Amino acid sequence: MSHPPYALKTRFWTPGVVVLAVLMAAGAAAILARFIGGIGYVSNLSTARPWGLWIGVDVASGVALAAGGFTTAFLAHIVGRHYYEPVVRPALLTAMLGYTFVVLGLLIDIGRSWAIWKPMIFWNFDSVLFEVAMCVMFYLNVLYIEFVPVVVEQFKGRVNLPGVLAGLNGLAESLLNLADRILGRIMWIFVIAGVVLSCMHQSSLGSLMLVAPTKVHPLWYTPILPLLFLTSAIAVGYPMVVFETTLATASLKLDGEMRVLGPLTRITIYLLGLYLALKIGDMVVRGTYVHLLEGTAQTNAFLVEMILGVIVPWLMLLSERVRRNRRALFAACALIVGGVLLNRVNVFVVAYKPPVSEADYFPAVGEILITVGLISTLMFIYRFLVTHLPVLSAPAREVSA
Amino acid sequence: MKKRIWFLGLVPVLALLCLVVSAGRAAAAAPSGDELALDPAWKAPDQEAARERAREVVPFVDAVVDECQLCRQQRLRDMGLGVKDIVHSYFLLDSPVIKQREDHYGPVRFMHTKHAAQIQDCAVCHHARPADKAAKETVRCSACHQESFRADTPDRLGLKAAYHQQCIACHRDEAKGPMDCAGCHPKNVPDHKELVKLPANPQPWDVTAECLRCHPGAGEDMLASSHWLWRGHSAYTLDHQKKVIHGKGTTAINNF
Amino acid sequence: MNLTRRGFFRIAGAAGAAGAAAAASPSPEVRAAAVPDDPYGCLVDLTRCIGCRKCEQACNRVNALPEPERSFEDPTVLNRLRRPDARAFTVVNRYFPGRLDAGNQLVPTFVKIQCMHCQEPACASACIVGALTKKENGTVHYDVSKCIGCRYCMVACPFEIPAYEYHDPVTPRVMKCTYCYERISQAGGLPGCAEICPTEAITFGRRKTLLEVARKRIRDNPVQYLDHIYGEREVGGTSWMYISGIAFGKLGFIDVPETPTPRLSEKIQHTLFAYLWSPILLYGLLGGIMWTSRKRGPHSEAEEGDRR
Repeated sequence: MSHPPYALKTRFWTPGVVVLAVLMAAGAAAILARFIGGIGYVSNLSTARPWGLWIGVDVASGVALAAGGFTTAFLAHIVGRHYYEPVVRPALLTAMLGYTFVVLGLLIDIGRSWAIWKPMIFWNFDSVLFEVAMCVMFYLNVLYIEFVPVVVEQFKGRVNLPGVLAGLNGLAESLLNLADRILGRIMWIFVIAGVVLSCMHQSSLGSLMLVAPTKVHPLWYTPILPLLFLTSAIAVGYPMVVFETTLATASLKLDGEMRVLGPLTRITIYLLGLYLALKIGDMVVRGTYVHLLEGTAQTNAFLVEMILGVIVPWLMLLSERVRRNRRALFAACALIVGGVLLNRVNVFVVAYKPPVSEADYFPAVGEILITVGLISTLMFIYRFLVTHLPVLSAPAREVSA
Repeated sequence: MKKRIWFLGLVPVLALLCLVVSAGRAAAAAPSGDELALDPAWKAPDQEAARERAREVVPFVDAVVDECQLCRQQRLRDMGLGVKDIVHSYFLLDSPVIKQREDHYGPVRFMHTKHAAQIQDCAVCHHARPADKAAKETVRCSACHQESFRADTPDRLGLKAAYHQQCIACHRDEAKGPMDCAGCHPKNVPDHKELVKLPANPQPWDVTAECLRCHPGAGEDMLASSHWLWRGHSAYTLDHQKKVIHGKGTTAINNF
Repeated sequence: MNLTRRGFFRIAGAAGAAGAAAAASPSPEVRAAAVPDDPYGCLVDLTRCIGCRKCEQACNRVNALPEPERSFEDPTVLNRLRRPDARAFTVVNRYFPGRLDAGNQLVPTFVKIQCMHCQEPACASACIVGALTKKENGTVHYDVSKCIGCRYCMVACPFEIPAYEYHDPVTPRVMKCTYCYERISQAGGLPGCAEICPTEAITFGRRKTLLEVARKRIRDNPVQYLDHIYGEREVGGTSWMYISGIAFGKLGFIDVPETPTPRLSEKIQHTLFAYLWSPILLYGLLGGIMWTSRKRGPHSEAEEGDRR
């Protein structure tokens, strides 16, 4: 029987957290600069290269790497493999934070941040981006709702707001009770909706670049790009859970959840294998392998993505020894995560070559600072929340489970 | 000698203003030392007649005879048409058809007889005749070319384009006549009498400063020109010796 | 999770109905009808253009764009190739494709660039809020009041035309040729560039008429022109079209497919999500799996108990 999740209540300000705070401050300065001088002031984006690091990493990779949320929910709640329950909450938290930061990243990237609500009023059913935006909006709400029980569990019966807010204790308490009563009954709606919405926009993220057939390198431009995005998102879900759980448990000095993580990655062999087969099959059918050895930055990026990001970790996972060894498993999963991240960056940035001006792009310092700052903030909040809310189940390392 | 070179440097910047100022002075001096006795109401009759003609809009010719260029050339020769048949030797190209759309330039002065005498082939410009038998053999450009992009004759050039294509192509191919916009068109320059504000007895640098007030680019151009940048020996000065070393950017005063 | 069978179907049904109502997703055929039948067009005859840049000047004036850094009369501007940007909706570039004149001088060819106003514009297909639309008169029109600044239109445009006010922190706009929409909507109105062009290198008119005019010019003068109207079929046809005596590839024109570039993504989108059939199906499927696995799952009650 697994240990129920609990709030860690460990020391918060470790040296690592201080480093995070410094990166956050640098990012905040860059964000300030962006909102004073404009996007052009902090970025290398141009007429020919309108999308860069922010879309490639903050948005596309953010969405892909938050896939752990819906894949674990599917496994534990829909198929009913409750054995995997201990990783559902950390995955859910990562997804919730991931999507929140996707939206924050978008707020920085779009020129008129204050107008972000407009797609709710003005609809364009031809636009892939419209569908993605709607799904992300709904899914973000679903994630918040799914996370409510975690908050309820921590505070129900012991609401104690500070100072003047103490008068609201009764109200907050009754709200928590209400949420607890209702949510338990209707949570299945949101669990299924979360999976459906995820499948929709994970795939549609791939359709985004299909609108520009003359601009995206043929190694990536394929009609099955949405399918590849969906399968890679599903394949990266569990490795991402392994990756972040290992990082979190190591950093918080908890027991690694190898008992759960090992079997999770056995499923990944099939999922990643499917992705690999689709990718190679697509390459063979369309005959794009002729580009493989052209030696340009684009084709090399493709080779790295395929070999280091998919083939090597897949072969590693095939070995029982790797799956049992915490370090090796972490390495394999880190490669998969890196591979999918590189894939998203490749599709949105590297593969994109404007045919007229052939302009190059490399992110500016400001862009990098903002992206790093956002990721640091995400990690900071993750750490804060697992310290104060019952998310992680792993027992502290000193106490043997 | 030194003084003349200094003056050369001023020319590009000051030319316009000098004209205005001297004209103003001449006008001021006119009542006392009157020798030419010009009547201010007098106008050149040729110019006035041309101006009148330019205002006319003749009925649009929508159909022309389909005839090859060589056939037409031959036919006109056989008819004996030539310079002697020219009715109006001078035109102002100033049609309201063009002006109602765009009016950025003054009218072009077109010497009909001069061009005809040079080319000796009416068919080069009068390249088609109206289908109407009663019409004259050669008609003015604006008979067939009027507004651009008429829906009923979509492949017919408008008057402005007809002028430009005819003039530019010929001037380019023959390498004769003006080749740039201002070569044919006077610009619609506003009257500088009202615009220029100078003290009663302006110093030379007052004038330069006043020019630069509205034409900062002219000053920049001057500074980039050899009039300003030239350093070194003047070519042929005293005793044909290269003795004098100077340039406006180095030794002269009045440096704006 | 407390799931009753009746509750499940009631809620699932309601969700499905709401989804179907919300998805007024039109089929691809409906969209094809939105392509204007006979829009206005502009035919640019590159053999006529003399590179005077009056079109740039007129464009700047009628669209109230900022003063250029260098004057429109400055011929040295042509020494390098330019692209339209946020301060200039159209630019003229000079090419020396290699032909010599009688005096052994290279003969220049000038090319005006601006938004092509595609018949099936990728930008309009991409635009998340429909701020870009193809109007009946041919204009690909930008409505700044809807724009959120995602720049997906710039990603989508096969001609790299839309530019962006990157240095405006709060209210940046997508900047591209407006086709002088207000002007040409009035009777007799002309785009600023077509009106000022001294040689009628730009012919304005109905697209079908212009195609005939272009074919006639090519037919009447086969030595002067190549038998290719750029924009007749490119990306499904464009409102701006070009004829030339020099191969388009030497003049900065890119090869583009004849299929409108947004076709594939629209087809996938409309096939997969027409009436939201796929999400609803998936929802039902997952619901079924959840229902059956819950009945079979032996320790689900224990889990629930655990959580409370």
